[in-house]
Amino acid sequence: MTPVQTVSQVFDAIQQAKAGAPDFCTNFFPVQRKVQDWISHGELFAELRHDAIFFYRRDRDFWHLYYCASSKTALHREIPTVAELRTEPIVLDLVGKEGDASAAIGDWESAGFRRYSRLFRMSRTSTDANGDKTESTTKIEFAVVPDAKAVLELLERAFDRFGEQLPVRYEIESAIQAQQVLVARHQGDIAGLLFFETQGFSSTLRFWAVATEHRALKVGSALMRHYFATQNAVKRFVLWVAADNVNAVQKYGHYGYKPDGLVDYVLANQLVRS
Amino acid sequence: MKSIAEILKEIRPEFDFTTSQDFISDGMLDSFDIVTLVSSLDKNFSVSIPGTEILPENFQNIQTIEALLRKSGAAT
Repeated sequence: MTPVQTVSQVFDAIQQAKAGAPDFCTNFFPVQRKVQDWISHGELFAELRHDAIFFYRRDRDFWHLYYCASSKTALHREIPTVAELRTEPIVLDLVGKEGDASAAIGDWESAGFRRYSRLFRMSRTSTDANGDKTESTTKIEFAVVPDAKAVLELLERAFDRFGEQLPVRYEIESAIQAQQVLVARHQGDIAGLLFFETQGFSSTLRFWAVATEHRALKVGSALMRHYFATQNAVKRFVLWVAADNVNAVQKYGHYGYKPDGLVDYVLANQLVRS
Repeated sequence: MKSIAEILKEIRPEFDFTTSQDFISDGMLDSFDIVTLVSSLDKNFSVSIPGTEILPENFQNIQTIEALLRKSGAAT
């Protein structure tokens, strides 16, 4: 695999796989700004094949894999020939409607990947009921850049780095500068955080976490209420949640989120240890 | 054949696409929606929108999507 130098290389490669494709398939939904960040930080690599392309994004001690192939047949043919799939710790996400996503798993299982986790998307509209009437005196404010280290530590304690697309330090700093990280403080510590991305009428809740030692303070509900209250223009709220995190699913349901039919199967090869 | 507005409404029924001039900045379409939209447009208009054209500016509003389809050979 070779380092990707420009965003246009990415789109040119996708075009090469897509040109005349009978049944184009992909797990790559690139956002130009993020692709540019990955390239700037030397995190994105590519491997071009005849009618498929594989992108590798470095994340901590493993890789995220993205593919674009002219057809499922081409993908099926190429997967066994990619050496990195057996020599590097790799995870990939298969996103789609339940049947479509699960149908694509077989080829990857044949190549030594296993089902690591399953996430599903939940959404709510601005008019959906929010069942939370909890009162809290906890002060909620936007994180500031010096909080980035503590934010990262809380995220890495609360979430799974392989399965939940955890941001790295520079992404956290960017999000803080964009006022997309809310925090609750208690005695100088970050007791809880809510990390979101709002774009126009849509807002994605990326992470919502309360430090174990501060769970009695009702910080989580205060963060969520503050989030909704400050996103007045948003009409659609979405999030991804691990299907086996029953507690979180129940809490999100309490705030009006409902499954919207999209799932994400996270697959990992044998070099990824749980 | 469905219209562009009908396809958009199928993907994101909660939004009124006739009132926005920038679906991306307004958060009405995300990256997954765009890939879903490209697939629907390809099938509905019997075209293959090039990967190099899957750029936010081509999906800003119904007029830019129409222009993209024309460039891709569709009779809109």
